[in-house]
Amino acid sequence: MEFLSRTQLITALAAIGLALYVLDLVRRRRLSEEYSLLWVVASVVVAILGFSTPLLRAITRALGILYEGSTVFLVGLAFATAMLLHVSVKLSRLGQENHALTRELALMRYDLERLRGGRPQPATSDDRGGAA
Amino acid sequence: MSALRVLVIVPAHNEEESLPATLAELRRRSPGRDVLVVDDGSRDRTAQVARECGVPVVSHAVNLGVGGALQTGFRWAVRHGYDVGVQLDADGQHDPGWLDALLEPVLSGACDVSIGSRYVARSGYRAPLARRLGMMLFSSVVRLTVGQRITDTTSGFRAYDRDVMEICQHDFPKDFPDAPLLIDLARRGFRLAEVPVEMRAREAGRSFYTLSKSLYYPYKNMLASLMVLLKRP
Repeated sequence: MEFLSRTQLITALAAIGLALYVLDLVRRRRLSEEYSLLWVVASVVVAILGFSTPLLRAITRALGILYEGSTVFLVGLAFATAMLLHVSVKLSRLGQENHALTRELALMRYDLERLRGGRPQPATSDDRGGAA
Repeated sequence: MSALRVLVIVPAHNEEESLPATLAELRRRSPGRDVLVVDDGSRDRTAQVARECGVPVVSHAVNLGVGGALQTGFRWAVRHGYDVGVQLDADGQHDPGWLDALLEPVLSGACDVSIGSRYVARSGYRAPLARRLGMMLFSSVVRLTVGQRITDTTSGFRAYDRDVMEICQHDFPKDFPDAPLLIDLARRGFRLAEVPVEMRAREAGRSFYTLSKSLYYPYKNMLASLMVLLKRP
């Protein structure tokens, strides 16, 4: 196998190490399968680029990049950006859900306290015959 | 007219000091109003103090911000059959004596949201220069985007009719209850109106607009205002 530089070999090995670590996280249920897919795909792609010098050369030439190492960096950076965006979207949804749950919980706790009559909630005109 | 049921919604976050005075003044200056305190994840005795004042309290387990508290208030109001919701700050800067004036355009159906404004003629409020500049900035943003002049975009003294509450109880630009909210409401076809009111300095506690936020706030709010325009109405 032909390697352009020691850096390339290190990158490829690191990518394999990362992929294995991701799989281990899934195995220990620390990472959900959904996220693991992206990570595994990205590290496998980087590993392939690292081990297959002809492929890396071809892609580098096709993209008009001068140095093969930049191609690997480009792929890594593209992946990192995609992952961050993905996480931001997930976080937004989680935040919205969390927000809605907090509000709903507050209203339910109010109803519960009223039903129990333990810590009485003061009456409003609603109790004197308003629509519920 | 009087058949319409009005709920005064008081969002409160760590306001145990000023809340009793605010509620007492509300009772004195605008008697017979239904009130709901939304305790927004307070770490002090806000909820307890409000209950002792004889007011129903809904408590958030964590702090969601004014927008979230307002949304909970809307939902409670809709569930309990109220027609109009009025937002009144717990810190005492809103004078309940202006409630009737604020409610009038909403009760008469002249608008869907009325905004108590410090800057419209008649109220003698003079804000610091930085605040005035920011206010002019967001006033222009609102005017450019929805074609209506709203001078006091940060006023939290507002009345909302049932349609607004129904929709906003589910969908609300909760993190940005100022200019972005107004743009959002206008874009959904709700009619806004400003009512001149006088406001006071805070009684206790810290203003939401602290120094560290004073630079971040305009940036964040500007961006959020533009983002609202991108959203599907």
